[in-house]
Amino acid sequence: MTLLPLLFAIYVEGDDGDLGARLKRREPAAMGELYDRYGKLAYSLIYRIVRDVGVAEDLVQETFLRVWNRAQGFDAERGALGPWLLAVARNRAIDYVRSASGKMAKGALELEYAERPALFINFEADVLSQDQARRVRAALEKLNENQRHVIELAYFEGLSQSEMAERMGQPLGTVKTWVRTALKNLREDLGEKAARA
Amino acid sequence: MNCEELRDQYELYALDALNAEERAELDAHLRREGDPCVAGVRKARALMMSLALITPESHPPARLRKRVVGMVGEPKRPWSWTPVWIAAAACLTVVAVWLGMARRDQARALADLRLEAQRKTVELARLNEAFAIMNDPGARQLVFGEGAPKPRGRVFVNPQQGVLLLASNLTPAPSGKIYEMWIIPKSGSPAPAGLFQSESDGTAMYLRKGAVDVATTGAIAVTLEPEAGSQAPTTQPLIVATL
Repeated sequence: MTLLPLLFAIYVEGDDGDLGARLKRREPAAMGELYDRYGKLAYSLIYRIVRDVGVAEDLVQETFLRVWNRAQGFDAERGALGPWLLAVARNRAIDYVRSASGKMAKGALELEYAERPALFINFEADVLSQDQARRVRAALEKLNENQRHVIELAYFEGLSQSEMAERMGQPLGTVKTWVRTALKNLREDLGEKAARA
Repeated sequence: MNCEELRDQYELYALDALNAEERAELDAHLRREGDPCVAGVRKARALMMSLALITPESHPPARLRKRVVGMVGEPKRPWSWTPVWIAAAACLTVVAVWLGMARRDQARALADLRLEAQRKTVELARLNEAFAIMNDPGARQLVFGEGAPKPRGRVFVNPQQGVLLLASNLTPAPSGKIYEMWIIPKSGSPAPAGLFQSESDGTAMYLRKGAVDVATTGAIAVTLEPEAGSQAPTTQPLIVATL
């Protein structure tokens, strides 16, 4: 897998608080700035999940419109604009994949809940920074192949552990062990930097 | 399950990767204010969001930005007005140059008119002076060249005002030459009385202002001289008007 180029980090550094405040004031120019800052990352994430250019474009558009429409609930002082937008992007893509595979019943409502801007407060300012990207890559490289695979299945496809076991043809207990170990290691390497308590 | 037992599910909850039963159990904790699971899930959500940074890079098409910002009507970027301002400035410059040229043309025409008016004024003044000399009862009128192909005309000698020459059939002096009037006394050398040129049609009017002693003057003559003039005639007279 090609890891995220450092170029992305350029787009995710800046004053998100000011941008969030302008979005709350519904300044149209802020939408362009938001796209310039996160559009490429959001598109890459969505495309990685849906694997279709046309669908990815539609979902990026939907993502930014959702953020625009829900910006009133965003806490410009404590909120993390980038993580929130990426959560919306990921959820839109996961929702599309589930819908396309007939698994809508699993969690459309849960995804809506997971997009509330109030959930994305008190994140470290550098949660999407260049340094954090380097740390994430280093932490993932420490995992073995199975551990890394289950993390990717969870993040990029939103699979539950049962679905991972089915997909990988492995016992559920084995998959749970891989997941637990992988998350523990990631938590140890990255958790203290991700969010303030 | 207590919070410690649920801890391994925080990240999967953040990714919505729990099955319904697992999610319901954790949801019950999150509804309790101050439950340790609340802070744990928040940290897990931040951790999982950083996984976006391992996404392989893809390049969105340029049209996507237009689609996104077009939804909310982002104002056009300032630079898009730049060509308009440049064009407007260019137009203003052209207009300014054109107005400047027109103004210069008008100024030139006005200067020509002023020059022409000055010329007419001078000519009118000369005519008035000529009429004053001719109409003065004390002036003497002399005729020259009558009945001959050579220059002919009249000379008016006014003792107080001067000498007036009116001539025709006097071809313009060639290049480097000029006509010079002489006042020739009855005894003594001719005195230079000024330079003049005839018109292209052969006419000439020359006024030499200043008192003239008619009693001692024998004749008025005109010779062709170098254009700087001479102190004494160097050629035979073309015009001689005897008092």
